[in-house]
Amino acid sequence: MNLQHHTNIALRQNQVVGRRDFLRQLSAAGLAAGACNWTDAISASADALRSRGMACILLWMQGGPSQYETFSPKPDHKNSGETRAIATRVPGIQIADNLPHCAKVIEDLAIIRSMTSKEGNHGRATYLLHHGYLPMGSVKFPTLGSHVAHQIGDAASQLPSYVRIGNRLANSGGGGFLGVDYDPLILSSANRPPENTTPTTGRKRFQRRLQLLSSIQTGFAQGPGAQVVADQQKIVASASQMILSPSMAAFDLEKEPRKIHANYGEGDFASGCMLARRLVEHGVTFVEVVSRGWDTHQDVFSRTRDLTTQIDQPMATLITDLKQRGMLEKTLVVWMGEFGRSPSVNARGGRDHYPKAFNAVMAGGGVSGGQVIGKTNAAGAEVVDRPVTVNDLFRTIYHTLEIDADEENISSIGRPIKLVDGGKVVEELFE
Amino acid sequence: MGKMPTLVLILLTFGTSASAAQPSAKATAQRIDAVLASELFNDPTQLAPRSDDETYLRRVWLDVVGHIPTPKQATTFALDPSPDKRERTVRQLLQNPDYGKNWARYWRDVVFSRRLEDRAILAANAMETDLARWLNESQGWDRIASRFITASGDVRKHGNTAIVMAQDGRTEEMTAEISRIFLGIQIQCAQCHDHPYDRWKRNQFHELAAFFPRVGIRRVNDMALRSFEVYGSDQARKRPKKNNDRRPQPEHFMSHLDDPTAKGTKIQPKFFLTRQTLPLGSSDAHRRSQLADWLTDNDWFAIALVNRVWSELVGEGFYEPVDDLGPDRKATAPKAVKLLASKFRQSGYDLQWLFQTICQTEAYGRESRPRRKADETPFTANVPQRLRSDQLMNAAYSALEIVESKGGWSNRERRKSSRQRFAEIFGYDPSVSRDSISASIPQVLALMNSPQVNRALAANRSSLLGRRLEAIEDNEPLIVELYLRCLSRQPTDEELSLLLTYSEEIGDRRQAFEDILWALVNSAEFQHRK
Repeated sequence: MNLQHHTNIALRQNQVVGRRDFLRQLSAAGLAAGACNWTDAISASADALRSRGMACILLWMQGGPSQYETFSPKPDHKNSGETRAIATRVPGIQIADNLPHCAKVIEDLAIIRSMTSKEGNHGRATYLLHHGYLPMGSVKFPTLGSHVAHQIGDAASQLPSYVRIGNRLANSGGGGFLGVDYDPLILSSANRPPENTTPTTGRKRFQRRLQLLSSIQTGFAQGPGAQVVADQQKIVASASQMILSPSMAAFDLEKEPRKIHANYGEGDFASGCMLARRLVEHGVTFVEVVSRGWDTHQDVFSRTRDLTTQIDQPMATLITDLKQRGMLEKTLVVWMGEFGRSPSVNARGGRDHYPKAFNAVMAGGGVSGGQVIGKTNAAGAEVVDRPVTVNDLFRTIYHTLEIDADEENISSIGRPIKLVDGGKVVEELFE
Repeated sequence: MGKMPTLVLILLTFGTSASAAQPSAKATAQRIDAVLASELFNDPTQLAPRSDDETYLRRVWLDVVGHIPTPKQATTFALDPSPDKRERTVRQLLQNPDYGKNWARYWRDVVFSRRLEDRAILAANAMETDLARWLNESQGWDRIASRFITASGDVRKHGNTAIVMAQDGRTEEMTAEISRIFLGIQIQCAQCHDHPYDRWKRNQFHELAAFFPRVGIRRVNDMALRSFEVYGSDQARKRPKKNNDRRPQPEHFMSHLDDPTAKGTKIQPKFFLTRQTLPLGSSDAHRRSQLADWLTDNDWFAIALVNRVWSELVGEGFYEPVDDLGPDRKATAPKAVKLLASKFRQSGYDLQWLFQTICQTEAYGRESRPRRKADETPFTANVPQRLRSDQLMNAAYSALEIVESKGGWSNRERRKSSRQRFAEIFGYDPSVSRDSISASIPQVLALMNSPQVNRALAANRSSLLGRRLEAIEDNEPLIVELYLRCLSRQPTDEELSLLLTYSEEIGDRRQAFEDILWALVNSAEFQHRK
């Protein structure tokens, strides 16, 4: 996966337009096909690599989590329904009683209660909150994690820069016009290694096969396949290097002590959070952990309680764990979904889609915790103070990761596209 | 009995008159080569030689029907002495139902690679099925395009709704896609501002969009299936909604740039290429069928299509990328593309005629060379193309004799077919320049390590290799057969001696041949068409 960083440098320094051009340049630099060692290639141009060590973990709540039942309770209003609020370690900040563990780490959390958008459709809103743009047929926008991998992916890492835990997620996007190098590596579960990374034969035989593959390709490589064989051999080399590398142990949760397992708690999301920390520790730049089932049109109170039980302890542990390891300063954790849920409770005891006023949480990466940004009215129906748009949020995320959100990439038809179009950084987060 | 001769005579007359109107594929191919030579080839020595039979056969199979030939078909073709065997093969392949399927899948990828939302996938099967049928019935490209432009009905049942569904019934988005796909013109760049380097103006985009405001999509819920329906409505809406939502409205409005929340200006339908207009108030049916007539009667329509097919077959378009032609781009061989487009039009937009023509050109039939650099002459050789997901899967399945399980595309994780899962790893957007398409890490990992592939490669009783190992005792003919199966050619002397040595060194014959087959399937040559 290291390819992506090379492309990145090539793009910036030499104005090379395509990945293939860059591969060509590498060959010209005398790197023999098949024997290409990416670490050598990296040291060859180490000064160009700007690994800042920043990372991001996105905790994605698919379906639209209810703000009332999570980080924006309204205990004094009838809209709160059955949900109670609890005090946190910071006087004056209350969150829903569904999140007792998060209440204990509130000093590290910044809650944005004034998120606002117009998209109330799952597909479009999921797209919007992943890309910072609405979908357009003519431009394949890269998703947030792909941009981050493209901008600050750690070139020295043998692991991919962008990993999504929790299977494919509709409308969450990929590398887009940045290319497949920036697609996420998708894990269907945190408890299994990524697909196809374990050779089906022993290591020795696998290496023997690689040798054989390289030797039977000579004929095609000397003729019409000169480029494609060279490209493919490089990708085969870096893929096999990855799967044979000791870094693959990052995917193995069995390596975590029992105590850590206990701290994160049970369930897929807990495993996902634990794995996210391990991956960041091993050089992955962007990890997305998906929790599903937040579309609570029925029985919002009991269903949200089930869901918060699954995420509360793992999320709080993730923050603590990162902090104890000295990683929180450089790791931004974002908790969000595609929109919030309606102020009034419907006839089936559920809440419907509500993009007008919802919440998101940020922690780490230099964000000052223990604070609430923005405010809604007593009913929770309107943002009355400090509205934060999706573009504001995206600009803030890039800012935290020290990425220039105004940088332009060129789409496949030659149109310049900024990482974020407009929006303002939420400066209060860093005060 | 007595009436028979008259009938035959009538049929014959029709036959003759139709073929008289239709330009000869062979003569057109020769003219294209001549024009290319005069436009581009100053130095005939730079031209790649004619490809050998093995290469040509695998190429034409993959290009026309999306499969590779079996060892038997490859051998028969090589041994066939008749001089017209290449054009005859193309004609036969065009009669194979896999021709329609292959190209329906190509267009499915064109349309759905640009879907706004993943749920649109539920329209993919119907598109593949219907389009394959229309292609196999040799319906004209104009008729097929009109079907897509005027589509309505349940998206699971009516394949022509694919573009509207992929664009979520949104006026401006479907306008942009119809222009991109059928005209090769990216007029949507003028959606928000005048186009920076083309001459289209912002209002011209919106005038085109004004053919589509009355189209929308809505959910249909019958008991069994959740689906969507594309529909046109001529009714005024009680609550006017803003532009570009997925419900119909009577007229299209162009928003004000400085006040995007205002209603904007009402726009009259006008086709930007010919300036033909329709009055405000026209019905949806009239708007769309009229636009379909004007659009399919335009030069850009023919140019866009021949450019796409040429690019797919010869390895490079006259214009690249294939969906961004103009108006102010220059073709690499303007006379040749113009000639091919006008003959295609004369043929009645007959796609099978187009395939026959291109496959008979020398430009198509030359050996491949690596993709040229920008300063080198185009079309002096064919270019190795990375197989599209469906071609690669077909090649792997037929080389390894795997039987495909049934099932189509679904937007639900659990219902996805093996073909769709394969496409999630190997699929790419066919409109993107092939220069930027190369193997990815998940792809090489899947072919190297996936349990499915390795089960198929294993030498056991139920596998191809197990059976061939038993049937063929000597190593040499077995190596030859595996080469024919995977690469549709004989191994060279070097390859043969390399692999004979390898199998002796390994000792365990089964292991050695599992390795050889593994290496063949993982080779770049297997994954490309030369």
